[in-house]
Amino acid sequence: MYAVSRYWLHCKMGDKDMLGRTRKRNRMVKQNAHIDNIRNDTNEPIPQTIGAVRSGLQEIFTGCSDFVLREIVCGKDSSIRMLVVYINGFVDKRVLNQDVVRPILDYFSNAKLQDKRNPIYEQLKECVVNNNDIKEAENMQQVMENIVSGEALLFIDGEDRALVIGVKAPQGRHVEEPDTEVSIRGAREGFVENLLTNTTLIRKRIKNPNLKLEIMQLGEQTKTDICICYIKGIANEEIVREVRERLKKIKTDAILDSGYIEQFISDSRLSLFPTVGNSEKCDKLAGKLLEGRVAIFCDGTPYVLTVPYLFIESIQVSEDYYDHAFFATFMRLLRLLALLVSNLLLGMYVALVGFHHTVIPFKLMITLAASRQGIPFSPITEAVLMIVAFELLREAGVRMPRPIGQALSIVGAIVLGEASVAAGISSNLMVIIVAITAVCSFVVPPLIRATMLIRFVFLAAANFLGFFGISFVFVAVFVHLCRLRSFGIPYMAPFSPLTASDFKDSLVVAPIWAMVTRPKILRQENTKGAAGVKRQEARLKR
Amino acid sequence: MKCRKDKYAVKIATLAVSSMVFLLLTGCWNNRDLTEINMVTALGIDRTEDGKVLLTVQVVEPAAIQSTASGKGKGGGAQSKPVFVESYEGETVFDALRSMLSIVDKKLFLSTAQVLILGERLSKNGISEALDFFQRNHEVEYEMDVLVARNATPKEILEMETDIDPIPAVYIKGTIENTVSRAKAKRTILLDLIKDMGDSGRQPVIGQVEKAGEKEVRTEGAAVFRDGKLAGWLDPYETRGYLFAAGKVKSTIVNIPADNGKISMEVIRSKGKINAEFKNGEPAMLTVRVGLEANVGEYEGKGKLDSPDDLHKLEEILGDEVKKEIRRALDKAQKDYSSDIFGFGTQLHKYHPQYWKKVKDDWNDTFSKLPVDIKVDAKIRRTGVIKGPIKKDG
Repeated sequence: MYAVSRYWLHCKMGDKDMLGRTRKRNRMVKQNAHIDNIRNDTNEPIPQTIGAVRSGLQEIFTGCSDFVLREIVCGKDSSIRMLVVYINGFVDKRVLNQDVVRPILDYFSNAKLQDKRNPIYEQLKECVVNNNDIKEAENMQQVMENIVSGEALLFIDGEDRALVIGVKAPQGRHVEEPDTEVSIRGAREGFVENLLTNTTLIRKRIKNPNLKLEIMQLGEQTKTDICICYIKGIANEEIVREVRERLKKIKTDAILDSGYIEQFISDSRLSLFPTVGNSEKCDKLAGKLLEGRVAIFCDGTPYVLTVPYLFIESIQVSEDYYDHAFFATFMRLLRLLALLVSNLLLGMYVALVGFHHTVIPFKLMITLAASRQGIPFSPITEAVLMIVAFELLREAGVRMPRPIGQALSIVGAIVLGEASVAAGISSNLMVIIVAITAVCSFVVPPLIRATMLIRFVFLAAANFLGFFGISFVFVAVFVHLCRLRSFGIPYMAPFSPLTASDFKDSLVVAPIWAMVTRPKILRQENTKGAAGVKRQEARLKR
Repeated sequence: MKCRKDKYAVKIATLAVSSMVFLLLTGCWNNRDLTEINMVTALGIDRTEDGKVLLTVQVVEPAAIQSTASGKGKGGGAQSKPVFVESYEGETVFDALRSMLSIVDKKLFLSTAQVLILGERLSKNGISEALDFFQRNHEVEYEMDVLVARNATPKEILEMETDIDPIPAVYIKGTIENTVSRAKAKRTILLDLIKDMGDSGRQPVIGQVEKAGEKEVRTEGAAVFRDGKLAGWLDPYETRGYLFAAGKVKSTIVNIPADNGKISMEVIRSKGKINAEFKNGEPAMLTVRVGLEANVGEYEGKGKLDSPDDLHKLEEILGDEVKKEIRRALDKAQKDYSSDIFGFGTQLHKYHPQYWKKVKDDWNDTFSKLPVDIKVDAKIRRTGVIKGPIKKDG
């Protein structure tokens, strides 16, 4: 508890830093103010005449060929004039025509139906337009924002308000199985680019009014919809508030992917280890929410962020909970092993053949020496060459169109595996070790990038100082991990700090019927309380 | 704010400097690639006539081993030998080892050495001087087997090519390792030898190796030392007697006469205990107590083994046979070599330290004169799958 309250203290201090940074960013925004000219004159009220609205909008949207203006003239003596404005392609035109334009025309051409007591605006809003999703825009800024985010706007002559009618056409691809997180067992549904579809997918799984979805917009230019999602009563209020605050502080031109947000809100922005999780899978996200985590949806990307993100989550897979607990435990341990192997194996090999000949068993040593015989490079050079070649192939495989990727893998296998050994450029054993390293690194996808770089550090340390160097780097990395926090929660929990009750879902997986309590570490109430501060002061006095 | 930045700068500078120092001080001082060393598989040391050390090394060629192991040498043709043997004379072992680099290309790496073979002449002159290097050097493998070459120099033994294993050293080590199932040679690892050398209550015994043919060695028997010098040899049976008394027999075959033939008994468990009995503050008698369990392994004859009485009789004969071997070993140690290889001295040291202080220096002579009482308690556990031999007339 003490440690945590200290963290919050730290976080408070940290806010100042964040504010400082924000100020800096504002300055940058001002420099780019000329791009932003739309904003400066949009707080003005909506002109009352249709003509003025029309010319104003036309001026703003000059050169936007997808901008549509339609004037409706109806009523007796063509006295009622309206203007429908929308962006072509964004709205469902059929719905707009059937539910908005036709009822208006019908209504005003039939004098009997008309309600003379109310002004036209109220009549339209309440009993003409066949749409549930109606809002009002009261100034030009709101008008602009709604137009560009795909709503249809209805202006009425003589009113300084406009009706915002939600007739957005459903867009984007269908819900399908995500490529990045394939599961043998469990739901195949993955998130899509559309925010609303995504929140619906979660709502479908957690049918509970306590599932809160707070929406906000980020990005000066892109106005991307961001949605904070949590379950009230389960999620820690402190964390939710922190998420809200950190999101609000983001000042940037564009949010094109949740990755942008991730980088802005990470606790330790330079750390190689992710402190914000992401997922494409609905069932996984639902699980995270139910554990008390907070999700951040971002319109335009299927990757949903979850915070806090702890180290142990990198070896957790949703199938762990669907499967037999013993098997899941075994897989957890295997993943941890893979993580260690993919980090250390290459370095260990270099240390072994470079320094610690005495610990190699005799027969293995002969094999090692035989495979090294006649190789012109030192082990470190060989290792770096091979691993760089592998990373190149991997990157090429990702970037290439899929059909060409096949050819690439063949070339890679033959060149890396066979030819380099046959040509005497690398040893058999090195190929095997690089292969094992590569396979192991794919077992723990969230840490692939961290591993990729740390591996080189281990390699360098092993070449300079052998096992001593490896243990040195290992301790350094471990200390770093223990120092890391994600939204106030220690990264290495439940191991550091030791939280015995959370061990049920760490290296071992308890059967689902035995997981009675939610993760304790995420549920710390009163984390910001003065008690911790007071205790600290008392300690200092003593 | 500025002050804080300065502090950071100082911190970073300290860290950078300290890590630089850290790297520079230790550096890559010991980084040697596997291809830059010669792996020594066996070492032989002997004395030349003028008192110099003659060091022989057997070095493995990993590539050649690999190609013989996989069965298809790449490119066929001239296949290189799996090992090469070189000798060099020097003032000391270390000197010879380093000077040998004038005829060998890469540095010699000792941790892979499987056996250390001591020459007869060296053993007679004393081995403690030569072994100093092996205790001092950090690269030496303490579990390497030590053998004494008989009727051949270490060089001759190491130069033998054998068909059994591509590396002769591994072959020699294998033959001495399997003594656990025959108990006719004493296996001594370097660490034990060093311990025994420093212990005045026990004299070292080292296994013996000799040439058995052009391509084979034989490890049977043992060399007895006294005060670091070779005193003489034990034959295989005496060696086994010694091992029984010392409690180091794991398994062996003891042949005993029986009705109409002979029986091979397989000893499966054995315990040996030695002690000294005191009278009037002086050791009056040395005792050896051995308990063993055996199975009937083979019966070359016609007797039956289905009654307990038969077995009891056999047990007695087996006990006597083992006793005889122990007696022979003791006689050799006491009368011929006057060397307490059994470690009675260690027992005295433990239980009668006052007396031990007095006799420590000439204990071996005292030991030679003491009578020894040997008791062997043999038990027969099983007679195998059949009770008696097949009757032809049945």
